[in-house]
Amino acid sequence: MHKNLEKYLEEIGHYLSDPGEREEILNEIRSHILEKAEQEGAPLDEAVLEKVIAAYGAPRRVAEKYLDGKPVIAPAYQRFLFRYTWLLFSFHFVLIVLGALFNKSFTIFPFLFVPGRDIADIFLYTPTAFLTDFGIVALVLYYITWTGKETRLPWPKFAIDLNEAKPVARVATMIGAGIMLALTVFAVRIFLEFQTLFVVSLNFEKFRPLFRPAPGRLISLAVLAMMAAGTIGLFIKAFSASRRLACWVDAVSDGFALVMIAIVLRQQHAPLFAVNIPARLLAWSHLTLTITLFVVALFVAIDLVVNLVRLGRRRQAG
Amino acid sequence: MDNELGSIETEMKRGFLQLLVLVLLEKDAYGYAMVRAFRELGYEVEENTLYPLLRRLEKRGLIHGKWELSEERPRKVYAITRPGREMRAGLLAIWKKQDEIITHIIKENEHA
Repeated sequence: MHKNLEKYLEEIGHYLSDPGEREEILNEIRSHILEKAEQEGAPLDEAVLEKVIAAYGAPRRVAEKYLDGKPVIAPAYQRFLFRYTWLLFSFHFVLIVLGALFNKSFTIFPFLFVPGRDIADIFLYTPTAFLTDFGIVALVLYYITWTGKETRLPWPKFAIDLNEAKPVARVATMIGAGIMLALTVFAVRIFLEFQTLFVVSLNFEKFRPLFRPAPGRLISLAVLAMMAAGTIGLFIKAFSASRRLACWVDAVSDGFALVMIAIVLRQQHAPLFAVNIPARLLAWSHLTLTITLFVVALFVAIDLVVNLVRLGRRRQAG
Repeated sequence: MDNELGSIETEMKRGFLQLLVLVLLEKDAYGYAMVRAFRELGYEVEENTLYPLLRRLEKRGLIHGKWELSEERPRKVYAITRPGREMRAGLLAIWKKQDEIITHIIKENEHA
């Protein structure tokens, strides 16, 4: 009884699925290893046996050579795994933001349940949502593979191929990044001075904020965060020629912007303005601000979907 | 370049090894004896590749394996079957045809 050899065979056996074949396969490998070890180091020596075992290969790799398993997802469908996941996830993410915005839970197949919770929960729920979408797509592709039917999987052709994306104009991006940086620094300076970005006049001695302190600070921070994210995004694009990275930057930036818009929109219910505004105008201003933010959110959401779908084309060169 | 050659060689070996085994098994042999026979001919074969291949050929009925228990250590001895001989004849014909095609093209290239 050679302990190391038996342990090696046990490890190979662990990966073999057919119990009927397992014993025979292991007997054959045992016979081969012992014979080779004897030939190379008669009388049989443990050190030589170790060497022969090592040369035979790692247990998993040895076992895999006996397994003729079909792929979980057929090679022709594998590229659709990330394409569809990103497409599904982009819609899912928009729904998550809407759920947080209206603070309402809802159920839409195949997303099942979209919780209407706090904005902070978006960050916790988003990875779970992605994994769920990935799982759903993987399951569908697995089923298609399993049926063995010739299925032509659809893919939207609305000019969002990554190769069709225009190359980033580097000089323009650099200039844009510089301007954005200057604006962001200026905004940070204003915020540090007044704790808000929205002031009626920029007279440093006679400062008058537009919004009340709490919502004013929150909205200002959201705008600052968007400006900072935009600046970072532009700098990344300016120093990298990768279209894939540019898509990533845009997608992250869109997602971030949606969250920030949601934060701002949630402040609409609370008393907002610190200055005296006639009641009739106040109602109008609330409505106008809400509609404007919704329109912006809609465009950002469309851009997010397009960017995520582009990223779904995983195999395209960056 | 060596890596690429290695990976293409692995692909070529996959089919060639099946033919080689069918040719070698004109006389009955067990796994380790086959490895040594190939090595003596200058053909290195990964041992952990040979046994799964023998198993597949056996499942397809091209060879037949039988455990011999009379020796000091049990050994599985393989023999070619009638369908195995027919398959071998077919594979040899394909191999010869391929060899002719390659030789013909190389000769043409030399004269060009």
